[in-house]
Amino acid sequence: MSSTSSSHAAAPARLLGKRSLRRSLSRLIRSLSPHPRIRRWTRKRHGVDPDPFTLPGRRIYILPTGLGVTYAFMLFAMFLGAMNYGNNLALGLAFLLGALGLTAMHHSHRNLAGVRIQSAGCEPVFAGQMARFRIAIENPSPLTRYELTASNEEGIAAPQRIEPGARAVLEVIVPAEARGLLPLRYFELATRHPFGLFRAWSVLHMDLRCIVFPRPSAHGKPPPLVETDTGGAQDLSRGDEEFAGLRSFHPGDAPSRIAWKAYAREQGLQVKVYAGTEVTSHLFDWDTLRGLGVEARLSQLCRWIEDAHAAGHAFGLKIPGTHIPANVGASHRQRCLTALALYQSDEQQSSES
Amino acid sequence: MSSNLLRVESLSPFGRKLSWVIAGLALAVVPHVPHLSVWILVLLGVAIAARLVTELKGWALPPKWLRIPIAFGALFGVLLTYRTLNGVEAGTALLVVMAGMKLLETRSIRDLTVVVFLAYFAVFSGFLYNQELLRLPYMLATSWLLTATLMRVHQTTLSMPVREAVGLTGKMMLQALPLAVLLFVFFPRLPGNFWAVPARSQASSGLDDELSPGDVSELSISGAIAFRVKFDGELPPPRERYWRGPVLHDFDGRTWRRARPLYIPQAVRPIGTTYRYRVTLEPHQRSWIFALDVVTDWPSSAVRTSDLQLVTRQQPISTLTSFDLESATHYEVAAPLPTAMRRADLRLPERRNPRTLELARTLRAEAPSDEAFIEAVLSMFREQEYFYTLEPPRLERDSIDDFLFNTRRGFCEHFASAFTTLARAAGIPARVVTGYHGGEFNPMGGYLIVRQSDAHAWSEVWIDGKGWIRIDPTAAVAPERIEGGIDAAMPEDEPVPGRLIRNSRVLSNIQLAWDAANTFWNNQIIEFSALQQSWLANKIGLEELGWRELGIAMALTLGAFFAILSAYLAWRFRPRSRDPVLQVYEELCRKFAQLNLPRLPHEGPNDYLNRLASAEPKLARQLSEVRDIYVGLRYGPSPAPANLSRLKYLVNSLGTSG
Repeated sequence: MSSTSSSHAAAPARLLGKRSLRRSLSRLIRSLSPHPRIRRWTRKRHGVDPDPFTLPGRRIYILPTGLGVTYAFMLFAMFLGAMNYGNNLALGLAFLLGALGLTAMHHSHRNLAGVRIQSAGCEPVFAGQMARFRIAIENPSPLTRYELTASNEEGIAAPQRIEPGARAVLEVIVPAEARGLLPLRYFELATRHPFGLFRAWSVLHMDLRCIVFPRPSAHGKPPPLVETDTGGAQDLSRGDEEFAGLRSFHPGDAPSRIAWKAYAREQGLQVKVYAGTEVTSHLFDWDTLRGLGVEARLSQLCRWIEDAHAAGHAFGLKIPGTHIPANVGASHRQRCLTALALYQSDEQQSSES
Repeated sequence: MSSNLLRVESLSPFGRKLSWVIAGLALAVVPHVPHLSVWILVLLGVAIAARLVTELKGWALPPKWLRIPIAFGALFGVLLTYRTLNGVEAGTALLVVMAGMKLLETRSIRDLTVVVFLAYFAVFSGFLYNQELLRLPYMLATSWLLTATLMRVHQTTLSMPVREAVGLTGKMMLQALPLAVLLFVFFPRLPGNFWAVPARSQASSGLDDELSPGDVSELSISGAIAFRVKFDGELPPPRERYWRGPVLHDFDGRTWRRARPLYIPQAVRPIGTTYRYRVTLEPHQRSWIFALDVVTDWPSSAVRTSDLQLVTRQQPISTLTSFDLESATHYEVAAPLPTAMRRADLRLPERRNPRTLELARTLRAEAPSDEAFIEAVLSMFREQEYFYTLEPPRLERDSIDDFLFNTRRGFCEHFASAFTTLARAAGIPARVVTGYHGGEFNPMGGYLIVRQSDAHAWSEVWIDGKGWIRIDPTAAVAPERIEGGIDAAMPEDEPVPGRLIRNSRVLSNIQLAWDAANTFWNNQIIEFSALQQSWLANKIGLEELGWRELGIAMALTLGAFFAILSAYLAWRFRPRSRDPVLQVYEELCRKFAQLNLPRLPHEGPNDYLNRLASAEPKLARQLSEVRDIYVGLRYGPSPAPANLSRLKYLVNSLGTSG
C-alpha cells in the first residue's frame, strides 16, 4: 500500500495544479478584457459613439475564454498524441477541430459586427435605485444573431437571440447614487456564440443619460396646507366635477375614463374629459423649507410630490427659477420631479462627463 | 433506460442539454466497447444512469466526499487492469472513467463543455485503434453531433432546435474543412515517437510464436487482412509466394517454440530473379515483418535475424506500416552451419514419439542420401492415406505418433511438425517456419492481399553445401493448397471464410473494389508522410520541401483562410436591401420635414398623415390615399405589389405640388 501511495499522491497534486492553472488563466483573460485603462483608451480612440450606431467590425475585440484555452490545450494534446503515434486520421481530427475553432472565432466576430445599436430610453429613477438603460439592438442582416448580451461592471444582461430584421432590447444597469443626469459612461456589447470558446466584445460610449430624481426624504414633515384654488378655471381639461367632452385615447389614460359606450358605437376609443370647478391643490414651495440644505429641501419636496401624486391630489411646485402650476397626472409628476432632479445640476453634469 | 428517454420532454432545459451531451459521449465511446474492460463500461453506464436519474428526480448530485473516493478507486482500477496509465489502452480507459466521473459533478454549462471535450478525445483515441475507411463516416458524424451539441449547450436563452444546430455546425465544419485539409498536407511530419509507446497486450495476428498441432481441434481462421503487397514489376509465381514469419526450433514432443534468437550472421546469396515490393502490414502488435522468403534488402528500421526473419528494430507494429523490401525466392548459404545452430535444430525430446523416431531410422537406413530420405518422407505423405483438413481430430500426448499412425488428418502445422521431427530423427538439421502463403491478386489495385486464412507452416532442412532448403510437406498432401490457396484445398462441405464471396463473381468484384478503395485510403491518407509531401511539392513545381517551404505554405494557408472566411462571412451578413415601401415613406417624411412638418417620434403613419392632411387641406385627398396604400402595404394581410408604384407616383407628385 505504501509503495502505491506515492504514485497516488502525484495525481491529486496534478488535478489541483490544473484547476489553479485554469483559474489563473481565466483571471488573466478577465484582467485583459474590461480593464478600465483599456476602456479609457478605447474611449479616447473612438470618441463618443453616435446614436444610432452601426457597429463596424474593426471596433470588435476578441479573445479566447477559459473554455477556449482549455480547448486549445486539448487540441495540442491531440496533436502531440497523433504525431507520436504517427496516426494521420487522429492528426486530421486535431486539425479539423483546430480549423473549427478558428472558424468559430470568425463567426463570433461576425455575430456582433454590423448590428445597429440604438438607445431605447431609460425610465427615470430615484437616487439610490438602479437606473436601467435600455439598449435596442437591431439585426439588419439576413442571418440570425445569437447570444448577444450587454454588460458593464454592474452585471450582464440576459443574452438575446435576434432574428433577421428583428430587434431586441438589452438592459444595462447603473446604480443611481445622486440626483441629476446620470450618464451611462460605457457598456460592452458581447457574445460568446457559437461554442463559448471566444468572447467577442465592443466597448461603446454612447451619450445616454438617465434622469435621477432626488431620493424622497422619510415621511414626517406634513405637507403644506391645502389651498382651494381657482385651478379649475386655469385648466379646463383637468378636474373631475363636470363632463366636458371626449378626446381620442392615448396610452396611459385611465381605463375608468374610457367612453365604452362610444366605443360600442364604433367611434373608436374615446376618453371622457372632465372640467373641474373646485380643484384643491397643494403648492410645494422651496421657500417654506427654511433651515434645510439644498439636497434636503429637494428630498422633502420630492416626498411631498410622491405622496400627493399617490393620493391623487393636485399640486404645484415652486423652486428658485422654476414655477410649475398646480396640476395632476403622471406627466405632471414627472415634470415636477425632473425639475427637482435638474435643479442647479446642469453645469455640474456637463463638466463631470 | 427507455422510460428515461420517454420522459426527456419533462426535463429542464439543462437536463435536455445534459441528455444530448450524454448521447454524444455514448456515441464516441461505442467504438471502444470491444477493447475496454467490462468494469469500465459498467462504471460509465452507472454514472450515466445515476446522473440522468438525479436530473429527472431533481436530486442533489453526489457530494464531494463520495465522488473523490470513487474517482480514485476508478483510477486505481485502471492502473490495476492495465498496469500502466501510459499508452492508448490505459489512456482510453482513463478517459472513459474521467468522463463518467465528470458526469457525476456536471452542473454547469462549463462542465457540459468539458464532457464534450472528453468525448472529442474519445473519438480521437478511436482513431489510434482503427483507421479503417469504414470507420470514418461514423467518427465524422459523431464529431459533428458533438459540435452541434456544443453549440446547443452554449445557447442560454432559448433551446436551439437540433436541426438548426446541426445545420449551422455543418456549415461551419465545411468552412473549416479546407483549412484542415491544407494543414494536413503542409504540416511538417516528424519521424519517430516523442515518448515510448507500450505495446498493446492482445495480439491480433493469425500467427503465434508457438505451434502445437493437436491442441486445437478446429482451426479458427479469419478472412481478416494480414498485409498487402505491391510489387514493382513481375509477381513471383504463386507456388513461391512464401511470406516468412517466426521460425520455431524448440520441440517438447507436442509444442514448437521459438528459441532465443541467435544473431549469427549468415551470408545469403540470392539465386535467380529478385523482386522489389512494398509490404503494408495491418497492425498486429508484433515486431514481425512478413517478407517474401528470403529478404535480401530492407530499410534501416528493420533487422534480419539469423533465422532470416525480418523484424522491426524497436516498436511492434501497432499502426498500419509499410516497408520497401527486396527478396529472392531462391538462395543458398555457402558457409557451414554454426555448431550451436546445428545442435539446436537436431534436438528432440527424449522418450517422446518413439514410433516416429523408429520410422525415421528405418527410412534413413533405406535411403542413400539425405535428399533421398526427404523424398521418401514426402512420397509417404503423398502416396499413403494422409488427408488435408481444417477440422482434424485432437491428438494424444505423443502427437506426432498419433498423427502419423492413427489419425492421418491435419493441416499445414501437422505436416510441417511431423516432417521436421522425422528429419531431425534422421540426423538432418530441420526447423519449422511459420508465415503466410499465397495471397489474392487484386486486379483493381494491382496488389496482393494476404489474409489471416493464408497463414501457413512449412519446414526447412539444412543440406551441407546448399544451405537451408524449404520443404513444404503440405504441398505433397494437398498440392492444390499451394497452387490455388485454401479454397481449392478444402472439400465443398468444409467451411472456409470468404469462399462464398470468392465463388460469386459480382460479390468478389465488389469485395476487391472495396479493398482497392481501402488500399488507396491506406496508402494516400493513413500512410501520408514526408514522402507524399515532397511528391505533391514536385507536382506544384517546388524543388525541395524543407521546413522553410512548409512554414511559408502554412502561413499562406492561414492567411488565405482568414481573408476568405471573413470576406465570405461579411458578404453573408451584409444588411438586406431595405424595404422599398419604407423607403418611399421616408422620402415623404423628408419632404414634409422640409415644409416644417416633420414626423414626431411618437407618431405612427395614421396620426402623422392625418395631421399633414389637416395642415395641408389641399393635399388631403392624396394624403389619405397615401395613407391607405402605405398602411395596406406595410401592415395589411395581403399586400398588393402593384400598389407600390402607385404609392411612389403619389409621393413624387406630392413633391412637385408641395
